[in-house]
Amino acid sequence: MTTERASTRRSFVKGGALLAAPLAVAAPAAAMAQDQRSTRLAPLEDEAAIRDLHQAWLRRVNSGEDTAGLFADPRRAAFEDRLRGVVADHTGAPDAIELARDGLSAAGRFACIVETEADLGEDCTLAQMAHAQGGGFIRQSERRVLNADYVKTKGVWAIAKVGFAAT
Amino acid sequence: MPGTPYPKLQMHRIAYTKLTPQQILARLGPAATSGPASAAPPSDALAGKQLRIVTDKGLTLAYRFNGTRRLSVAENGGRSVDAGYGALTLDDVVLFSHLIPGTQRGYTVVVDRETNQATVFELWFSGYEDNREVQREIHYGYVEQPGQAAPAGRHAPTNRVEGKGFYWRQDTGTETLEFYPSAAYSHFVELSRTGGELGFSAPSDYVKIDDDLFICTRTECEFSGTFTLYVMDVNRAQQVGVRLGFDANDALDYYVFHGRGEWLGQIAQFEKFGDTAGDVVPPPAGAGKGARRIYRPLKTLPKMTKAEVDALVAVKTKVFDKPSPMAGNRGPSTGWLAGKTLTLRYDNGPVMDYRFDDAETLHWRKDGGGWTQARYEAWESMPGVILFGHLLEGEPNHDGHMIVADFDYGLVTCFNGYLNTPYFANEAGVKTLFGVIEMEGLVPPKYNRHHFTDEMLGRAVSWNYSPGLTSMHLYSTPHTVSWIIFTDSGAGGLEWSGPGAFVKIREGLYFLYWLEEACNGTLGTVLVNLRTMHDAGIGYHCGEEGLSLGQMGAHARHAGRFDITRFYQLKTRGDAA
Repeated sequence: MTTERASTRRSFVKGGALLAAPLAVAAPAAAMAQDQRSTRLAPLEDEAAIRDLHQAWLRRVNSGEDTAGLFADPRRAAFEDRLRGVVADHTGAPDAIELARDGLSAAGRFACIVETEADLGEDCTLAQMAHAQGGGFIRQSERRVLNADYVKTKGVWAIAKVGFAAT
Repeated sequence: MPGTPYPKLQMHRIAYTKLTPQQILARLGPAATSGPASAAPPSDALAGKQLRIVTDKGLTLAYRFNGTRRLSVAENGGRSVDAGYGALTLDDVVLFSHLIPGTQRGYTVVVDRETNQATVFELWFSGYEDNREVQREIHYGYVEQPGQAAPAGRHAPTNRVEGKGFYWRQDTGTETLEFYPSAAYSHFVELSRTGGELGFSAPSDYVKIDDDLFICTRTECEFSGTFTLYVMDVNRAQQVGVRLGFDANDALDYYVFHGRGEWLGQIAQFEKFGDTAGDVVPPPAGAGKGARRIYRPLKTLPKMTKAEVDALVAVKTKVFDKPSPMAGNRGPSTGWLAGKTLTLRYDNGPVMDYRFDDAETLHWRKDGGGWTQARYEAWESMPGVILFGHLLEGEPNHDGHMIVADFDYGLVTCFNGYLNTPYFANEAGVKTLFGVIEMEGLVPPKYNRHHFTDEMLGRAVSWNYSPGLTSMHLYSTPHTVSWIIFTDSGAGGLEWSGPGAFVKIREGLYFLYWLEEACNGTLGTVLVNLRTMHDAGIGYHCGEEGLSLGQMGAHARHAGRFDITRFYQLKTRGDAA
């Protein structure tokens, strides 16, 4: 005698019913797992978003573009006039991003080399001559630490403020 | 009795006539027909030849040379015009020059017959607000040879002349010392024309033909506007050149010349090793034909009357009030004078009594008059030698005393700056006062004094005042300080100069000043210590911001020395020959 093992809708329903019970039983666990994954992923996603934001800020600073659009408050985008470039200092400490417990704010710390250009002014003859020949600026590179604060509003990260500190 | 070799007015004091284009055209007319004068017989190197010169910027010049004095030229395929010309040769190089009749334009062309490379200097008047200033545009190119490809190479801008110096004697009898401490400017001392008291600076071009031969130009901007160009062989110290412009009497100078010279030495360059680039001070992007960067200090100098100076000084006077970029590398000031009382007795000046209250405040009185309080600052540049300075409030010419006092020897020298000078009242003047120190426990010498010296003559010394602010001094005559500003690449850029003086204080210690006459009006005084390669200095300046006394301080590097002392020895008349 051959036992028909072909599946019928009924059997499927049954099976489904059979299966349904364990599924119904398993749903809170899956949701929990999903939550756990989300909980685990969220900081990583936040951190990635902040890194992207930092890279965008670097690109704009180095290309001379306006950075106001990256700030929660565009008025905080203003930076010292003499800043001409910021590049990652790969010989410095690793980048560090620390998220707040509530996931709505973060602080970043990035080793960098800051390039500045300061106008010599024209208070003396030499400075006037330097300007007359198309120069007259002091260009310097210094190792610094970029300290940045970030805020998340409506699911989007923005820069709250940035500042440099000595290494 | 024959006269002295000195002009009534030095170049920077001559009020050159503002010639009109019509006046210039009229004066050029005969020379356009005859060509430039020449003390030597004109070269026949080009006689009977035809040349077509093609340049990279598109200018083409087709020449037919009819003998040694006449040519016809067609510009850019246009109609031929006849003109006079003059040509001279130096090895394989032919230099020829001509004007275009009926215009204020002309060309000087340098052709290397070995390579067929050619460089054309297009010259014209009335291209700047001062019409007499010759303008130039350089066209690099070659002489077209039928059936041959154009040479790949070109003469090219270079910094390889930078640091050199030559004595030149033209076949006209003109003698000069010419220094190339910059890759964009040059410095020249007219030994025969003006007696060699002062050197002057001018924008220049440097073009490399090969390792021996270079083209140099200078345009005497801010002065007569005269243009000089020559090809020089730096090995053989020979030159051929042309001079075009109007002298102080508005007479046309247009001649070609041979010259022979002497190498004066080589000073340091500060570009990175391997950097031989020329055109170190390019004009702004998009600037027009002939544009170049030129330092024109007199244009920006505020020119004040005595009344304006007096009124300004009464309300705006600053003494050592804020750090200046010129003092970024200053040394520490000293309080050594605090509490001391002394007298500085100048042989050729006043008797100055001092009471030093503390490290920043003193009281002075002049020739036994009343005491006046003043702010001062002092530096001990070498043990026992103090530089200090203060203003003399109440003096009619707003004097400032910049003083070096040697307490080991009882000697003092003062550069006495003052205003209300003849040309512009805010332009500083200076008197040098020598004398002795009188104070308790110190016996000054009876006869010995500090004295002027030529030990700094010919030296070049770089001065780094603060980041981004570095210059180099060149002491080209016993009475000249020239200063060169470096570009970001370390090349010498703009240059200017003024009267100066040098006093020996001790071995390796010199007190010197420069006056920015017809410039910014500043009197700069510095005590140069060649042992520490550091200076301490005080600047005395009056401008629209008022009268100021400010500190200076820089780190030095010795950049070398030109051997020029022999050119400044006074000789019994007739010895010079």
